[in-house]
Amino acid sequence: MSECDFMRESMPMLLTESLDPVRREHTHQHIEHCTACSDDWTAYQETWRVLEELPVVEVPARVKDRFLAQIAPPATLPSNVVPFTRRPALKWIAQAAAVVVIAGGSYFTGHRTKPVEIQRTPAQVTSVTPIGAPQSQFSIAESRVLPASLINPNIEGRPDIENVQFERASTNDEQITLAFDITSRVTVTGRPTDKSMVRLMRYVLENEDRLGPSRSRAIDWVKTTYSRPGNADPEIATALANVLRNDEHQGVRIKAVETLKTLQPSVGVSAADTRDALIEALKSDPNPAVRIKAVEALANLARTGAPLDTETLNTLRLKAGQDDENVYVRMKAAEALSNVKP
Amino acid sequence: MAASDERNKQEMKHLSDQELMRLIQAGDFSPASEIYDRYSSRIYNFAYRFLRNSEAAEDATQEVFVKMLKHASQFHGDAKLSTWLFSITANWCRDYLRKADNKAKEAEEVLYTLPTSAEDAPDRNLERRQDEAMVQRALSALTPEQREAILLSRYQGLSYAEIAQISGCSEGAVKTRVFRAMETLKKALAGDPRGGDRCLNAIS
Repeated sequence: MSECDFMRESMPMLLTESLDPVRREHTHQHIEHCTACSDDWTAYQETWRVLEELPVVEVPARVKDRFLAQIAPPATLPSNVVPFTRRPALKWIAQAAAVVVIAGGSYFTGHRTKPVEIQRTPAQVTSVTPIGAPQSQFSIAESRVLPASLINPNIEGRPDIENVQFERASTNDEQITLAFDITSRVTVTGRPTDKSMVRLMRYVLENEDRLGPSRSRAIDWVKTTYSRPGNADPEIATALANVLRNDEHQGVRIKAVETLKTLQPSVGVSAADTRDALIEALKSDPNPAVRIKAVEALANLARTGAPLDTETLNTLRLKAGQDDENVYVRMKAAEALSNVKP
Repeated sequence: MAASDERNKQEMKHLSDQELMRLIQAGDFSPASEIYDRYSSRIYNFAYRFLRNSEAAEDATQEVFVKMLKHASQFHGDAKLSTWLFSITANWCRDYLRKADNKAKEAEEVLYTLPTSAEDAPDRNLERRQDEAMVQRALSALTPEQREAILLSRYQGLSYAEIAQISGCSEGAVKTRVFRAMETLKKALAGDPRGGDRCLNAIS
């Protein structure tokens, strides 16, 4: 094959800009110096241009009508016509009872959105170990009864004293008692997998709204620490599931479900409580963003190849086909189902 | 209910092809209308120019979208939806041409598609119609494989790799088809007397 033949074969690709830069440059150089190929190239360009003479033809509207009619579900005609009749009194009573049940259910559901209440378990000091003993255990929830003689009379700083109770008062020279809560600054250091750290984190997660400025910040910290495969712990997942169920702020719930997703590869949604929380969120969380994240967490599980239980699959199917559901939630549910291994 | 449908339609406009197909794969056909709106014009025009028969092009368009729904599970998302739809269309068109009785109809229709513009002088309108007819006749001179390749390349802007996937051949074969198609078209359209006879023979 002569060089000119080779160049001519390249010309259609030159028109469609499909040539690699080196060959393109080489072809252009050849065209510049070869009169025959230059003529051919002009003819190719002209042909390419003339092809534009074919305009875009509009699709007749009837094609779409026919297509949509073909895929529409068959109309179901009523098999019989129910005549109008006056409702019996019993039916009215049954409906009233149903309203009560629904209202009661809603009230119950509404109260479930309250922050988690953890029962306080007062601790008693049974022995005092000198500070510095390496094997000692320090309880962060304790009560101390101290004689006034052990208290330094100089109160330094401004300690927070709350819940003051005057338990005994006396006008003569007998003992008096003053009880109060005082916050001490406690710094705890340990490995993320230490049970004490896990329990502490769980407590902080579930109570941060009472104890500190932001539960959201606590979740960020948990995500950073416990998303590492070696650190994941089912108790942390349970705490996050509680947050997902109960926190009234959607931003916090979104963070909780996102963090659950990152914990899954290690902890697994097979932990029934966590999975249930995700399904609950998907079914009933009022915010679509939370529902989308819940689907993503379930989809993430399907993507890793873990088998999904029937309830999860049914919930995803329901969501994928639910007409009044947010379209992004439906799409995510469909995506999750497409990843389920048969 | 109508408001909900309208909202869904609006939301679907923001979804990607892959996302819409996932909904369909889950048994929800509501995105079908949106996909039709996105691709029907390209599908119809391809079939129209390929078959040179508007009635057949209408059937092709309708059938392609029905097949898309029927065989949605075969779409894996690793190729573009447009590529997959053009594969279905090209198959449909090839089958159509294979049927003996359709071959006779193939060149029957004279396609004058340019709308008559009130601003254009009558002679200009006539000229444009003649140009269009000339291009259509030139395309008729191509083999179906060449026509398929040139229509997908010139009018649909697909890459050679995509055309190879649609046509079920190698990329090299697509390059050859486009080259030969261009040679024939060049002769027919750029005034090369060597090609004129072939073109006239092919359509006569």
